[in-house]
Amino acid sequence: MSSNICAEIKNLKVSFKGREILHNISTQFESGKITVLIGRSGAGKTTLLRAVNRLNEVFDGCKTSGEVVLELKGLKTSVYDSRMALPQLRRSAGILFQTPNPLPMTLIKNITLPLELARGISHTAAVEKAEQMLRTVGLYDEVKDRLNVPASELSGGQQQRMCLARVLALEPELLLLDEPTASLDRKSSEIIEDCFTVLKKDIPIIMVSHSLAQSVKLGDSFKIMRDGNIVKEIESSELPQGTFEKEKYLEELL
Amino acid sequence: MKWKFNIIKLLAYTGCAYVLLFLAALFGFVVSHGLPVLNLHLFFGDTPPLKAVLGLSPVWEGIWPATVGTLCLVLLTMLFAAVPGICCGIYLSCFEKGRRAEYLSLAMDLLAGTPSIVMGLFGFVLILLLRKTVFPQASTSILLSAFCLALLVMPALVTATRSSIESLPVSLKLTGLSLGFTHGQLLRYLVIPSAARGIISGIILAAGRAAEDTAVIMLTGVVINSGIPSGLTAKFEALPFRIYYTAAQYTDEYELMRGFGAAMVLLILSVLLVSAASLFQKSMERSLKGTEKYE
Repeated sequence: MSSNICAEIKNLKVSFKGREILHNISTQFESGKITVLIGRSGAGKTTLLRAVNRLNEVFDGCKTSGEVVLELKGLKTSVYDSRMALPQLRRSAGILFQTPNPLPMTLIKNITLPLELARGISHTAAVEKAEQMLRTVGLYDEVKDRLNVPASELSGGQQQRMCLARVLALEPELLLLDEPTASLDRKSSEIIEDCFTVLKKDIPIIMVSHSLAQSVKLGDSFKIMRDGNIVKEIESSELPQGTFEKEKYLEELL
Repeated sequence: MKWKFNIIKLLAYTGCAYVLLFLAALFGFVVSHGLPVLNLHLFFGDTPPLKAVLGLSPVWEGIWPATVGTLCLVLLTMLFAAVPGICCGIYLSCFEKGRRAEYLSLAMDLLAGTPSIVMGLFGFVLILLLRKTVFPQASTSILLSAFCLALLVMPALVTATRSSIESLPVSLKLTGLSLGFTHGQLLRYLVIPSAARGIISGIILAAGRAAEDTAVIMLTGVVINSGIPSGLTAKFEALPFRIYYTAAQYTDEYELMRGFGAAMVLLILSVLLVSAASLFQKSMERSLKGTEKYE
């Protein structure tokens, strides 16, 4: 595994209640990039994403075989290593879901509670970190007077940015995004997409996108999936010139 | 085909009217006889109220001892039932799946289906056993009644806890785990606080059930004239039993009126408890509405 590979997957098979969703997937993801998983509905993109932080196992009847090795704190670590506690893994490979999922508490507590439980840091330090993260995602100015309102009262776009801040506060080494702007309006989507473009330099991103336009805009590297297999891997530089041409090319590959 | 639908509609409305009619009749009957007697004399008889409340003077012709008895009984019952009931509910909804969970569920249903008179008999036989073995001075008492009532109401509490926890959106658990919560932290910081109001609603309903039961307490320690309970091993009075006794054996008009007064008080207590339970339940449902997510 060369030094700029952040995640490596070997012979990964995932099935739910006997039905195999991913068939023998082997691939690598590079740091400093946004890698986009592209495919039609049911291709297995979300399952592959969730295999990275073992979130598939939360669901009944899930069986996984194969290897997933992540570069964490400079060391290659298998996600199935007995020394890697699941909670720690899930913080290191943070995930953002399709629909914003605020915890049933205030905005600020949404961010400080996971932080306090993870680090055992003081409440003041947690609040400071939370505010810093809110600035990073460009939400702070909008909500600085409303930090103690229930998070469910925020708009969809604000909630999703809060969720991003929440994940970033845990200092992940890998970011997994599952159609993060699917339920947002255009303006909110753009704000978040800008965050990703900035973040990718420090934290490698693996993303499932609901739109080819977004994939083309953000992706540096693409993996095309079909029926639980990766059928093609392509870099952004290898795509034809022009946004429309890029989208058409990728569409044809599906 | 439309007439078939109309018949069903008619039956539905009739059923509703039937229930409302008899509810009104019941309330009307109790309130019309009980409301006029609702005064301090009903509770305390000729004893000065302050002295009675402080326990300085006994009350002979009032329902105060029965009221206190019922309240103490309910409190004691909930002390016995709350922790095991809630913990069992948490266990069944969070830790046990599959066939074992079904068997445990069945056990709960069987306990719930036990006729209350049988539960009372169980308590009585338990005391006989204790007397013959380790505890010769054992006797029917408020403690025994509370213990048996706790067994009776626990299944309802288990069910309320279970259904509150199971009604939480799946995304709550997924979100918590994805943020690195351990299962213990999930339970302590997310699941139980979110389900709390539903659980409280269950506790209140169980308390209501304990307040109204007659069969169990008849065999395990209630009497007609013991005053306020003097201790855990004492006999006690209770409103449901007072009502039953009055109906069966009243000797004059005053006693009958006191019976109605007791019925009125018990009814008010039930209505208060059911309303409180409903408020908590609705409050929980409202707070969950904003966090329903498709996952």
